[in-house]
Amino acid sequence: MVHPMKTIASALAGLLFAAGPVAAQPAPPIEDELVLITPVAKTLTDPALAEFVKYAKEKWNITVRTSALAAGTPVAYGRIVEWKGRPEADIFWGGESALFDKLAEQNLLAKLALPQAVVDSIPVSIGKPKPIPLKDPNGFWIGTVLEPYGIVYQPTVLRRLGVPEPKDWNDLLNPKLKGNIAQCAPTRSSSSHATYEVILQREGDVKGWEWLRTLGGLTGIFTARSRDVPSVVAKGEFAVGFAVPSYMAFEDRLAGFDIKFVAPKTAWVTPEPIAILAGAKHQKAARAFIEFMLSERGQRVAMERGVFPITPKYRVQGPPGSTAELAVEFTGGLRSYFDQEVTNIYDDAVAQARYEQVNTLFRKEIESVWEELKKK
Amino acid sequence: MKLPRTIPSALGFGVIWAFLILFVVYPLFRIFYDAFTDEAGRLTLVNFFEFFTDSFYLRSLWQSMVLGVAAVVTTSVIGIAVAFLLIRCEFPYRNLFSYLTMLPLILPPLVGVLGFVFILGRAGSVNVILMDWFGMEKPINFMYGMQGVLLVETVHLFPMMTLSVLDALSKVDPSLEEAAQGVGAKGWRRFRDITLPLTTPGYVSGALLVFIWTFADFVTPLVLGVQDLLAPQAYLNIVQFVDRRIFRMGIVISALLVLLAIVFVLAARQYVALKDYSSLTYSKIERRRLGPVERWLAVGFLTLLLVISFIPQVGVMFAAVGRGWALTPIPVVYTLEFFRQVSIETPKFIINSFVFSGLAVVVCLVVGVPMAWILGRTRAPGRNTMDALTTLILAIPGTAIGIAYIRAFNYPLPLIDIPLTGMWIILPLVLAVRRLPYTVRGSHSSLLLVHKSMEEAAENVGASKPRVFWDITVPLVWKGILVGALFSFLTSIQEASATIFLTLGGWEMMPVGIFTFYIAGSQSQAAALGVILIAMCAFSLYVVNRIAGTRVGGLFG
Repeated sequence: MVHPMKTIASALAGLLFAAGPVAAQPAPPIEDELVLITPVAKTLTDPALAEFVKYAKEKWNITVRTSALAAGTPVAYGRIVEWKGRPEADIFWGGESALFDKLAEQNLLAKLALPQAVVDSIPVSIGKPKPIPLKDPNGFWIGTVLEPYGIVYQPTVLRRLGVPEPKDWNDLLNPKLKGNIAQCAPTRSSSSHATYEVILQREGDVKGWEWLRTLGGLTGIFTARSRDVPSVVAKGEFAVGFAVPSYMAFEDRLAGFDIKFVAPKTAWVTPEPIAILAGAKHQKAARAFIEFMLSERGQRVAMERGVFPITPKYRVQGPPGSTAELAVEFTGGLRSYFDQEVTNIYDDAVAQARYEQVNTLFRKEIESVWEELKKK
Repeated sequence: MKLPRTIPSALGFGVIWAFLILFVVYPLFRIFYDAFTDEAGRLTLVNFFEFFTDSFYLRSLWQSMVLGVAAVVTTSVIGIAVAFLLIRCEFPYRNLFSYLTMLPLILPPLVGVLGFVFILGRAGSVNVILMDWFGMEKPINFMYGMQGVLLVETVHLFPMMTLSVLDALSKVDPSLEEAAQGVGAKGWRRFRDITLPLTTPGYVSGALLVFIWTFADFVTPLVLGVQDLLAPQAYLNIVQFVDRRIFRMGIVISALLVLLAIVFVLAARQYVALKDYSSLTYSKIERRRLGPVERWLAVGFLTLLLVISFIPQVGVMFAAVGRGWALTPIPVVYTLEFFRQVSIETPKFIINSFVFSGLAVVVCLVVGVPMAWILGRTRAPGRNTMDALTTLILAIPGTAIGIAYIRAFNYPLPLIDIPLTGMWIILPLVLAVRRLPYTVRGSHSSLLLVHKSMEEAAENVGASKPRVFWDITVPLVWKGILVGALFSFLTSIQEASATIFLTLGGWEMMPVGIFTFYIAGSQSQAAALGVILIAMCAFSLYVVNRIAGTRVGGLFG
């Protein structure tokens, strides 16, 4: 519904513009504002936005005011749905691609309409036997970086406990770790939910839940958010953290903490999808930002923060002692996910179809009986 | 001549009620509506049935109650002891202690519990010292669990109890106690028969606030990994929007929190109203000089209390300047980089904080002072409802109000076609509503101290109503109003529970800024901003304290 006053105002404005010489001026290439809503941590979004502002200034001489609304994946998704097509943000960045598909179904995303060369530079998928989609065939979202959800640990605390450094998921079930594992509930964290699915799809439901119950019994804290998991491990409050995105742990490493990261072979790798919200006020700026993120310059910014390029064109690399090299060392020497065989057993379609069911089971099997599980 | 005088006041009365209905009653109604309907909007009790048949939720309810009662007990013991010492006894540094014991109250959410974990956590300074220097094998679990939540709440909230009791105690007419002593009632008997009943109303209101505050705090339990409490459940269920069923349960729990708050307020009012016979004037009090041993004990007790109380501040200070601080008693590498990092965004947060809190105070004054006048000076219909509503606002958890506002004001407004939730004005509004009771109480209690006869005397010698108000009433009550306003400001600037749900990009106030840094994963940056906020608040509190002295406690009643 458009208010009559608005119609009159725009009609007047139209008259003025049509009459005056102003009409001859071309519309600016992009708007001077850009708002993200994103579960991606500030430590990645801030440098990315800052570099984009520089880029826009150089390219169009436009100073873009940027801001990022930090919200966990479920919250961000929920707010976008609540906005009902009148979004307070322009871009949704990060989370599971299936959620982006859900938003597209509700007509809450705008088509990306990126140049074909940019779209083509990104492979359709990665990983076997279950391919992980890296872009939407319908053009509503596209991946930005590759990022594994793995395990973090504090070497000093582990040594004190007499536990070897973990390599794979099963190393977490060491009884000596009792009370020393930190994790976030899958009801609250998308990285945790995805990793719960990895375990369930790897072992089958019965064995999978038994595995997760054992992990629950060894768990010392269920944090409120996934980002807290590496924080409490970095501080040495807990020895090991489950289902942690690589770049979150890397930030703690950059902040001077002695924290280590390992991605087990079957760890889920997210493409951190990005999309423009339908009805967004700054569509052009949004599109420019996405193009920028997929350019070499944008990818380099991301690679400095502990994630991997989304295209085989680039590899994490820098002069010795650089942040990029530190990131390579931190993530076990990997420079690109396209350099190696990626094993993926996580099927997002299966996961999304039973999303609520897994949450309910978690509440029943683990959360509400946690006290008893700990006693075992 | 009667008509022109009643029309403006009727209009003002109408505006105040409109404000209360639109911004208090309607959002609460909306949250109850959500709690009693299903996704299709049909009326149903299923949600509550689900709550009361779920053993996890029931345990959360029970544990919340137990925790609330426990916090009342611990804060009572400490708070009353401190209040008695400060008001009845004379000992060295009494004034300094009276200021310092108020400070724990200004601990922004999140900052307090983080500070505690830095010092008393599993890898906190104390455990590190015990393990590295004294060969202890396993860390002592001070924090993770109910005991940790209770510790944080006790240290944070005992000043609220102290202030409430302090206020009540300083209103007790010493002549009553002397009279009791005159007829032979000494010591315990005099305390039981005279002092206790006279201070009960103040105590009950303090206890109610401590209970509800603890009941509604979700941040502390979450950081400490305690999830089987009502407030964290409400928060957790609501912030995950994906599963609509769990989301609705979050709203149901919020509604339940509000409902329980209403019940507690009503119960407390019943009790307090019956016993409200303390005199209204602040009495000049003879303080007892303590003997040398007693003096030493008093100072010792207060010092120990303060040492424990300032654990969070110390922890946060260290975290703000320590780089990679882990597994050592104090940081090894010191840096100012976190202050530098937050300094880019801090000016924006500070400006937002001052603008929004300032506007909130203006709204509080515009709505609250006339409300106090209506409550204190008129027999307008609906006065009692208005009074009850004011008390109720104090009791409603911030989380519930935030959620209620999102649900209630997410519809495009006529004319401008933007929902209220899309405009920053919603932040000062929600803050104003949350802090309105302080302004109303502050103005009301000072208004009560002005005897009506003074105003009447002025009117008798020919002063007009406005003249009376400006020449007699205002000079006598401005201090109370100012203190109420400052207190509203001071608490607004620390608010996060309601605003966190309503804040959009660029609107962040300092506490939400702290959250943003924390959520981004940098506890150090959160700590740095926390230090700045604490310093600002401590200064404001110092000003309030200088102006108001012990009277701040009257705000809670």
